[in-house]
Amino acid sequence: MLNPEELKKIYAARHVLDSDLERTLGVQIPFDAYLQDPLVAKEDPMFGFDENIYIQWEPGLADGPTSARFAVVDYNADTESIIPPAIWASDKQKFIKDGQILDQKNASPLQFHQVNVWVTVQRALRFFQEGSGLGRTIPWGFEGNRLIILPHAGFCENAFYDRRSKSLQFYYFGSQNERVYTCLSTDVINHEFGHAILDGIRPHYMESNSVQTAAFHEFIGDMTAILILLRNNEFRRKLAIKTKGNLDKADQLAYLAEQFGRTVKDRPYLRNARAKIKMSEVQNDDRPHYVSQVLTGAMYKILLSLSEHYLKERNQTPSQAYWNAIQRMQHTAIQPLDLLPPVDVTFRDYALAVLRYEELTNPKDPYGYFPRMLNVFEEYEILGQQDVIKLNQPDYLYKRLDLSVYYDMGYVVQSRSAAYNFLNDNRKDLYIPSSQDFIVSDLYDAAKLTREGQRLPREIIIEYIWEEEVKLDGPEFGYLNGKLTTMLCGGTLVFDEFGNLLSWFRKPGTQLDEGKDYIEENNIGLARRAEFMTNIAHRVKNGQIGLDHGSDKGFLGTRATPLSLKITHGMVDLEMSPHMSLEEDESDFGTGGRKWQISF
Amino acid sequence: MADKLLVRAYQVGVGDCIYVHIPNSQDGFHMLIDCGTIGSIELLEKAVRHIKENLLPNAATPGKKRLDLLVATHRHKDHIKGFDPEFFKDIQIKNIWLSAVMNPEHKQSTHTLALHEMATQKMRALEAFNLSLSPQLQQLMSMFSLDNDDAIKALREKIPDENNISPVYVHAGMESKDLNLQLDDATIKILAPENDIDGFYLGKEYDESLKGFQNGKIFFDNHSISTGTDHPENISISDFLRLKSRMLTNEFAFAETDSSLQNNCSVVLLISWRGRRLLFTGDAEWESTYEDGKHNGSWNVMWKMRHADLNDKLDFIKIGHHGSQNATPWIDGNNQGLEVNQIFNAILPLPGNLSQRNAQAIISTERTNVYETIPSPDLLVELGKRIKNTRDYYSALATIDKDFYKKKPFKELWEYEREDLLKAQQPYRTDLEKIITSKGYVDVEIEPAE
Repeated sequence: MLNPEELKKIYAARHVLDSDLERTLGVQIPFDAYLQDPLVAKEDPMFGFDENIYIQWEPGLADGPTSARFAVVDYNADTESIIPPAIWASDKQKFIKDGQILDQKNASPLQFHQVNVWVTVQRALRFFQEGSGLGRTIPWGFEGNRLIILPHAGFCENAFYDRRSKSLQFYYFGSQNERVYTCLSTDVINHEFGHAILDGIRPHYMESNSVQTAAFHEFIGDMTAILILLRNNEFRRKLAIKTKGNLDKADQLAYLAEQFGRTVKDRPYLRNARAKIKMSEVQNDDRPHYVSQVLTGAMYKILLSLSEHYLKERNQTPSQAYWNAIQRMQHTAIQPLDLLPPVDVTFRDYALAVLRYEELTNPKDPYGYFPRMLNVFEEYEILGQQDVIKLNQPDYLYKRLDLSVYYDMGYVVQSRSAAYNFLNDNRKDLYIPSSQDFIVSDLYDAAKLTREGQRLPREIIIEYIWEEEVKLDGPEFGYLNGKLTTMLCGGTLVFDEFGNLLSWFRKPGTQLDEGKDYIEENNIGLARRAEFMTNIAHRVKNGQIGLDHGSDKGFLGTRATPLSLKITHGMVDLEMSPHMSLEEDESDFGTGGRKWQISF
Repeated sequence: MADKLLVRAYQVGVGDCIYVHIPNSQDGFHMLIDCGTIGSIELLEKAVRHIKENLLPNAATPGKKRLDLLVATHRHKDHIKGFDPEFFKDIQIKNIWLSAVMNPEHKQSTHTLALHEMATQKMRALEAFNLSLSPQLQQLMSMFSLDNDDAIKALREKIPDENNISPVYVHAGMESKDLNLQLDDATIKILAPENDIDGFYLGKEYDESLKGFQNGKIFFDNHSISTGTDHPENISISDFLRLKSRMLTNEFAFAETDSSLQNNCSVVLLISWRGRRLLFTGDAEWESTYEDGKHNGSWNVMWKMRHADLNDKLDFIKIGHHGSQNATPWIDGNNQGLEVNQIFNAILPLPGNLSQRNAQAIISTERTNVYETIPSPDLLVELGKRIKNTRDYYSALATIDKDFYKKKPFKELWEYEREDLLKAQQPYRTDLEKIITSKGYVDVEIEPAE
């Protein structure tokens, strides 16, 4: 084993090292964690522990565990006390308690739970940051670089991401002998982590009043859970043996959060990725978890179709087919996230982003992946007939962006100010109203890889937003009648390093007064504004907007409305409440505002 | 008046103080249902004095007035704060009815009581820390404050002792004839709470949840180190303090569950008098639908267990919980098939035209900045479509002062009243009637049908 000084040197050179070599040299360390959850492990030892989760060694690894991006804090709100942290033993390169290594043979101490959840989120972060994912360091949606993880936050059937406290909170529930720790459920951890990741990538989604945007958050949570599980070599190998290639029969994959589901919902899962719900079936539904199943179902169907393709059309073994399917799905589902608009994402936006990225990375499409995906999105009614007709028409891969003032991308990528200058000088061409004081909300570049591990052209991503004031005028806005609020508008431009436009998603406002096709753009903005107002009126009517029931001793989650409200100087600010809980009760559907009424 | 039944709701802020006079062959049957407020006790003292001096007949004992029945629907202070023995010393009380859940010996509410004890203990412990709380949590906490103990004790012991009677802890299935009340043409049936309080209102899940919480606490206490003033070493103090304020608190969750349970254990009275049906609801709450063995709302339990008694048009209803959405079974929208809407349509059907509105209602309420959704304006307007004693409050208030909405109490809270809904017909509200009539109470008179 190398000493710490030697490890630091190897660590500094990790970018040029092969993964296997890193493992041999000890800058990737193997840890144990539950493959799924303790219930699955107990019933089917084959799906018990994963003992080959390699986590990058870091110079700052410390007790907790604590690493560059995570700090595990085992505070329990019920007892108002702290469970002592797992200790980092640098001589063993392991976390220990009372001198004993915390692994599957020593999994009963609560400190193993701390390690389990830390290992799981480290792996999930790598999944998003590696070249097969977004190919860049992902920031959090809050000021700070360490996401706080609470493995035993208290007694409750819940787990959630909360931006304001920079934390992922995992609660436990059940009786003494059947206590369910959500921090031991890989699906629950990955789902909640998905919220944190999406909030880092697109923080303004939290300010949306749209059910579909909230549902997109849930979709990312569930998709993260499915993809990371299938990305796991150990799980995939065992699944291949069990299912003999029929991924459609793989309950272990499609059933999300088995232990939670069986304990709380009296069914073998919390949600089932195989749900076949179409858009038309959720039009008036305001349950984000439920609505999310449309997109999760569609993407899961694409995954199954890929697996079948590798198995049947390309004659691969189940193990090979699963590996290729998941590898392709990681690219297909994750890489397009960088293309998404900065605000108010819809399922349609995501489907278009997925297809656009496919066009860019697989232009010749020898195996027909593009039409395969297009059919699924059409089947689930995520894309309409007009979209399908347009997407089926022959077109150039790159479209020219007519700009008034030329800028070199090398300059634009330097800073947000430089990007602002570029956008500002081309307002008219970019449909940014001259009256609006817009900002560059994010600027980054990404180094993504193809499936074969080849470098894709460097991507330069510019996100810009502005706030359009909207007066809530009418009795349908209830107590918000007469107040001002803001509708977020903006876009995401993606260029390659040569300045070719790769993608452009826009969420227009209504205030353009010049430029090419500005009336059409305004019309889209007007439709957005109408939907924005309808959403608020619906939320008011159903009592879904309210103040936090908070205190410095914590808050009352059971009665928290989906949107929390802040009124400052007559201006209404809405934000999705942090309680993105694991479940919704079907019986709550249609109970109006009653669900959020405190009883006293 | 002599042949009319009178219901009078006193304006006591957010609270109920309701006097009922049922005519009989002698000097009538006189009832007081609840006497509480979250506001000033002076309002209650004044209301009791007014009842004593103006409405109650003389008792057999010289110098005393007679009250035939005192009912405390549930233990919340907006329903019992005014039961100060001093206020009632000149009144001879013949009968006291308390909710079965207020009986500490009640065998089928031991788990519910355990939850209440725990919630009370926790809330009082928190109260000592003088925490910064949202107005709603402040309100919730105040339901567990020490001053409520005196009222409970007065109802269980002092007032009964002074009148040489014992309180009767009532539950559904009991009625006036079993309890030796002389009512002539009237009967009073108790529709809620059911005797098996743990089974119907707490439910197994909550019971198990409570046990799980307590076991978990012991387990984690044994594996933890107390934080005291310390904080975890891997985050800053400010991050830790923020974190604590953003965690789910079981103290508040259990307090809220208990509070809801107490509401659901309200005594609900159905008075039948000469062809008229009057329902006094306490703060009974509703949930989406009745489920065996689960935590249920009182309305759903009544619909299941007391269906024959509930499933008919009412002539009068005391609107529950000061006009909150959670106490009147109604969901806006077209889904009339939902259980709650079935209940609502059965007791207060939408009339074909205005002249067919026969039912009356009263709501004891006050618009405050503590809880913006009490009363719920949408609910009030819906009720206004189904009953006959309604008022267009906007016009009525504008007659007194055309700029009323620019002044207190409307100025700050105008947005919650909503101009359009204040212009619609609403049931008689104690808070606005006080401004219009200056009487401090609202009367509803009911004539016999037979």
